Amino acid sequence: MIKLEHISKWVNQGNNRIFLLKDININIGEGEFISIMGPSGSGKSTLLNVIGMLDSADEGSYFFNDQPVHTLKEKQRSLLYKQHIGFVFQAYHLIDELTVYENIETPLLYQDTKSADRKAMVGDMLDRFNIVGKKDLFPANLSGGQQQLVGIARALIAKPKLILADEPTGNLNSKQGEEIMEIFTQLNKEEGVTIIQVTHSEKNAAYGNRIINLLDGRIEHNR
Amino acid sequence: MIKNYFTIAFRNIRRYGTHSLLNITGLAIALAACLVIFLVLQHERSYDQYHANASRVFQIVKKEVKDGNEEFYSGVAFPARKALSNDFPQVQFTQFFVSNGSQITVLDQENKITNQKFIEETGVFFSEPNFTDFFDLIWIAGQPEILNQPGMVAISRSKAEKYFGSVERAMGKSILFDNQIRLQVAGIFNDPPTNTDFNFQIVPSYQTFLSNSGVWGFEDAIDGWGLSTSNHQVYALIPERTTADQINSQMGTFVKKYYRPEAASKTFHSLHPLKEIHFDTRFGNNGTHVTSKASLNTLLLIGVLILLMACINFVNLSTALAAKRSKEIGIRKVIGGTRSQLRAQLITETFLLVLFSSVIALLLSWIALPYLKYITDIQEKLKLLNPGSFLFLFSVILITSVLSGFYPAFVLSNFKPIAAIKNKINTSTYAGLSLRRILVVLQFSFSQLLVIATIIAISQMSFIRNADLGFSKDATLLLTGSSDSVTIARQTGFRAELKKIPEVQQVSFSFDAPSSDNNWTSNFAFDHKTEDQPFDAHIKMADEAYAETFGLKLLAGTFYSDADSVQKVVINETMSQKLGMKNPQEAIGKTMKLGLQDWLPIVGVVKDFKNNSLRETVKPTIILRTRNRASTYMSQTNIKLKTSNPGKVLGKIEQLWNTHYPEYAFSASFLDESINDFYQQEERLSRLYKVFAILAIIISSLGLYGLISFMAIQKTKEVGIRKVLGASVSNIVLLFSKEFTILILVAFALAAPVAWYLMNAWLQNFVFKITIGWWIFAIAILTSILIAWATVGYKAIRAALANPVTSLKTE
Repeated sequence: MIKLEHISKWVNQGNNRIFLLKDININIGEGEFISIMGPSGSGKSTLLNVIGMLDSADEGSYFFNDQPVHTLKEKQRSLLYKQHIGFVFQAYHLIDELTVYENIETPLLYQDTKSADRKAMVGDMLDRFNIVGKKDLFPANLSGGQQQLVGIARALIAKPKLILADEPTGNLNSKQGEEIMEIFTQLNKEEGVTIIQVTHSEKNAAYGNRIINLLDGRIEHNR
Repeated sequence: MIKNYFTIAFRNIRRYGTHSLLNITGLAIALAACLVIFLVLQHERSYDQYHANASRVFQIVKKEVKDGNEEFYSGVAFPARKALSNDFPQVQFTQFFVSNGSQITVLDQENKITNQKFIEETGVFFSEPNFTDFFDLIWIAGQPEILNQPGMVAISRSKAEKYFGSVERAMGKSILFDNQIRLQVAGIFNDPPTNTDFNFQIVPSYQTFLSNSGVWGFEDAIDGWGLSTSNHQVYALIPERTTADQINSQMGTFVKKYYRPEAASKTFHSLHPLKEIHFDTRFGNNGTHVTSKASLNTLLLIGVLILLMACINFVNLSTALAAKRSKEIGIRKVIGGTRSQLRAQLITETFLLVLFSSVIALLLSWIALPYLKYITDIQEKLKLLNPGSFLFLFSVILITSVLSGFYPAFVLSNFKPIAAIKNKINTSTYAGLSLRRILVVLQFSFSQLLVIATIIAISQMSFIRNADLGFSKDATLLLTGSSDSVTIARQTGFRAELKKIPEVQQVSFSFDAPSSDNNWTSNFAFDHKTEDQPFDAHIKMADEAYAETFGLKLLAGTFYSDADSVQKVVINETMSQKLGMKNPQEAIGKTMKLGLQDWLPIVGVVKDFKNNSLRETVKPTIILRTRNRASTYMSQTNIKLKTSNPGKVLGKIEQLWNTHYPEYAFSASFLDESINDFYQQEERLSRLYKVFAILAIIISSLGLYGLISFMAIQKTKEVGIRKVLGASVSNIVLLFSKEFTILILVAFALAAPVAWYLMNAWLQNFVFKITIGWWIFAIAILTSILIAWATVGYKAIRAALANPVTSLKTE
């Protein structure tokens, strides 16, 4: 599904080139659950952003479902990730001005889904995460865990094949964290959604079936 | 999708309340101003455009070249109409005699005089029946043909109701015109709309004028080409596919054929389009005012500037808000929003704000419209809602949304999502600040331009109000009298009675006051020379008490007196100088001859007084009494009062009037007020400037406030660090104020020369004018800086007082 070859990314500081990612080679198949680990500044988030097409690499090739992402124009790229990728963030990143319902609905709006379909799809999602009663609340009225549920619901609404999660449990207590991890596992097992998560926690990383360790922008060890 | 955009827009407007309030307020004020300006322009531009044949109707106007000066006249000689019809058979002509300040007395069934007496200042047109081919008029009773006969009159519906109570009752009844001409009402028409300079109210037949021309003193002039008055006007209706130029090219031959050779060489006739009459200040018109295209353009410019300022505000405030909103935009991008979708959303928000503003603007302009008459020449109430204003508002909403929505939408939608989410958007990421600086400079230039213009206009107007007119204008009452012999015969008795009132100091009869808008001129000869002088003399007809009543100062000689057995004249200083006299004394004893009159000795020279408005120079003037003591040329009664509270005396004078002139309506005005009327247009213009300058200042202050709020956010960290390093509150406030002071100075450097140039041109309208002093500019810049500091102050002090620990933490 995802194939990264010799991916590098850097910034120039004076005459020095500082590598954020250096010569990354990864193959990720459909249905995998990957955990990316590493200390602060090791390039985890950058790698995730490159995979999520929010950021582009300076060097190397990136194939998504055999499409050469590195050669695509921005518009085509955003079309591609819109269809296939859902994002979950550490800080949830819900839109404060929108209700729970509207937050979940927004990606569908951007994909021009019909109104009736939208209703059904959002309804399903609310059911599934048991947040029907909260649908008219604004993010500020929810607990962190609930916000993250909404964040995941929003990521899933467009039926993506791939979920990218940047420290999804980083702002949550351990019980809430576990819940989220359970959901990910379930998604991965029952619906075959590919999941890539960045995490600090060994425990959470263990939910995945593969761990990629990063250090100073390089893959340290690929288990 | 659209619905969703609207919900979000609503919530965003609510969430960023202050920001929205600033935006909406500024925009609403500007839109209201624009809407009002639009209504004014719409109204002014529509004058006399509605006549079915408007594009084919022309006024025959006259130009005379004297002494190298061009003078323009809207009146033509009385025989011109017939001659024109004769020489241009393909063209239809019609003529009016326009009568001003006429008295209409309503007659009862037995044609006896009733108590209903009205002075009709305007609206009386002695007309030929074919005038309705030229000017649209809807007849509701009778028909234009009645105007073929003398003694017939058609009146407007409103006059019919005013005089007789109803249209039905008016038909067949009679009115008495100036106590002399009986007219039978044989036609009634609907009142013309307000946007015409031909406000037909009372339309007697032209035949009536012809058989009574003596009433106006025109009995000798009716067959001559020598005299023309602006009251006699001729209009042409040219055939289709004929141009005015084709007719104009034959006018030279026409003039040569009819005028005396010496007059023909300096007289030019031409066709002046009906559609231009309202806008041409050279000729004047029969309506309440002339509006030059230039002043309409000034107004248009002000409107555009105000709208631009509001749009600039919008852009400033919105891009400033971008920093706050970057997270939302980032998320939307990540979850699949494309740039165009985001742009659509942001433009929708702008559109909604603009829409809100326009609703408020409608309300504001509805409130403002009744006050319009104080700042423009439009005295009637304009309709706020008409197809034109809707279309205008619609396009302005659209234009404003695009103008002010596009740039912020463009900037915001181009944010890199990751950076946006992490709130890493700042000045270095997009070049917003320098653009905003340019916009603020522009805004301040506009408002300073208006401020400088306002100060100049106001000081010029106060200069005029307080200028030495060369005579006393205080506590002087002017009574308009009729010019018939009955009136004149009773003058002596009237004066004697007036003088018995203790508050009355002096009474004189004259043609007009020293300053008036009458322009009575005559050719004249000096010192027994056979040749006329190359310039004309201004004539003031007045009795011996004139100088005392108006406080004219004698420089040499005496004023003529009641005891004089022969006619004598008094001249003014300018006349004495123009005649080459070294000093006023030299002129005494010399003689002058007006037209074909006798040689009259000069007995006195008076200090110059202003004949007309201060827009014009002092004219060489002759003051004299008519040969026979009682004359129709001296129908105005001037009363100098001793009291400063003339209210009580006015009642007594009116009583006296009614006993002496029971058949005449009483019409009095105070001299100082009628002099102020000369400057009504300028007075209104300076008020107009004032209003818009204040609006401009408000709008630019709102913009500045928005910008400083943005800077306060941006500089939070800098301020925190500086405070930790020991900066005082005043240091920090200075940090904020310094930049804006510089921006204002730059704006001033742009605005000052433009303002000087424009206002200097405006001042050229006046002969007596102020010089534009440096202090005017000093005031403008100081006000701007003070207002800016006041605006900036609050935010700056708040930023300066903020606890550095919290401000550094949030970074």
